Amino acid sequence: MNAIEIKNLTKNFGEKQALKGLDMTVPVGAIYGFIGENGSGKSTTEKILCGLIPYNGGDVKLFGKPLTDVNIRANIGVLIESPGCFPSLSVWNNLMIQAANLGITNAADEVRKVLKLVRMEGAAGNKYKNCSLGMKQRIGIAMALLGDPALLVLDEPINGLDADGMRIMREVLTDLAQNHGCTVLVSSHILGELEKIATHYGIVRGGRMIKEMTAEELNASCRTFVALQTKNQENTKFVLRNRYARVEEDEQGYLRVYEAKNPEEVVTYLYEKGILVHEIKTAKIGLEEYYIDLMKEKGAR
Amino acid sequence: MEQNTLHFESPTFFQRVKRMLDVDFYRLFHTPMFYIFLAIAAIIPAMILGMTSIENADGVVQKLYDNTWQVIAADTPLYAVSDIAQYANMNMVFIFGGIMLSIFIGHDYKSGYVKQLFTTHAKKEDYMISKTAIGAFSMACMCITYLIGTVVSGLFVQASFAVNVWSLLCAIVGKILMSLGWASLYVFLNIIFRKYFGISIVSCFFFGTGILIVGAGALVGNSPLLNVFLYGSSVYACLSGNIWTVLVCLAVSVAWTGIYNVLGTYVLEKSDVY
Repeated sequence: MNAIEIKNLTKNFGEKQALKGLDMTVPVGAIYGFIGENGSGKSTTEKILCGLIPYNGGDVKLFGKPLTDVNIRANIGVLIESPGCFPSLSVWNNLMIQAANLGITNAADEVRKVLKLVRMEGAAGNKYKNCSLGMKQRIGIAMALLGDPALLVLDEPINGLDADGMRIMREVLTDLAQNHGCTVLVSSHILGELEKIATHYGIVRGGRMIKEMTAEELNASCRTFVALQTKNQENTKFVLRNRYARVEEDEQGYLRVYEAKNPEEVVTYLYEKGILVHEIKTAKIGLEEYYIDLMKEKGAR
Repeated sequence: MEQNTLHFESPTFFQRVKRMLDVDFYRLFHTPMFYIFLAIAAIIPAMILGMTSIENADGVVQKLYDNTWQVIAADTPLYAVSDIAQYANMNMVFIFGGIMLSIFIGHDYKSGYVKQLFTTHAKKEDYMISKTAIGAFSMACMCITYLIGTVVSGLFVQASFAVNVWSLLCAIVGKILMSLGWASLYVFLNIIFRKYFGISIVSCFFFGTGILIVGAGALVGNSPLLNVFLYGSSVYACLSGNIWTVLVCLAVSVAWTGIYNVLGTYVLEKSDVY
């Protein structure tokens, strides 16, 4: 059974068609990285999944049940943009309110448990308005975790977090998926972070799913390249382009040669041309570069 | 944390509404705004009665009211008011109540609480019912503090308390019953203008003043037909009231509550929550 199964989902905002027949499949227990440009339809899809906005057409099932079944919602924990908390109430009271809305009987124990999970036990008495951005995001996660949801829908949960906050968030989400069987749908523009935890990916563009794959498939699709540095990078780039179709300079100042079979081949070629290589290594493109390449490719079509 | 498993709980309508009411009443009692509005409801009649009972520069007292209870309700149902004394009575509570409810519901949207709420079992009709109940309760409480403020100020300025007690009781009960209908109107207006907090408040104030019915009264005269409207029946709950007054207020209030709740639910169902 899949946690989320969407077929041909459409959503219009007046004249604008935000979703144009989106398909999506999220297996149970996955950490699904939901990626796309701003306005590509990620948040709209997430809001539809949470029942916050109606959709115009298509079929949406959560754990095999239609989305229209309101009883499925107790299984979903949600953090869309920012947590829905009352600023003048304490963190504890805000969580207790959500626990009451969910009909949790042992609310105090449950709130204590989720606060511990997001490492916020010490801040329970703080007023929400006095919490830092990172704390607020963790409160949002805590709120989403109330009632032991089987599915977490998180929209940009790591935005604005510092390095430690991101690490905590990563650990929490990985623990939920690996040890508690929780399925996590997480959208983020910080692809480097997403790459560290996601088991599945969905890339959306213009309201359509353009690619769905597992982390293993991504790994297999990500090409290796040879990165090197020489004394005269410009000249080297010119020389390399006579033999290799794709040579680019990256942000760290390395020349990337994509079609090279191995570093030895490149070093030998450059040696023959009278160029000495200072440093050379092989590397693999990450999710971010894969994503950018894919976007370029789709944009070119 | 235990292994997360699927649980398809189906809370009953009463369970759902109770959950929401628990939260809303908790919020109501933990927000200073509620107590501020209760105080305003008590202070306003005291101010009106006090200020209209003091001597002016010529040493003359120009009383607006002959009797303390006229601050609660007019002597007779007058829809087209000719002076402020017939207008300024307990019906003002419904204006304050509208503003308070706008702020209360505005917080739901401003804080993002609604998005948390509607990702639970909560249904749109539960929301309408719960907010209407909160609004009705608040306005009923304001009616009581208004009554207390009136009595205390009446005693203070030594105004007359002569009244037909049964009629007074019918008028007060009638107005308290009208709280329900008014609350449903305000919840509906706040749902319509949920993305525009300022317009929500202004619209509640506009409708709360009963300006449309006052205008209609000026055109068609004091026709009992105007009782079918919220402001009309609120005016009908006057010091010449009887059990019929209470029944009319109850029927009108419940009928409009039903209408506004159905309309509000429809709007929420058909539009984006957040």
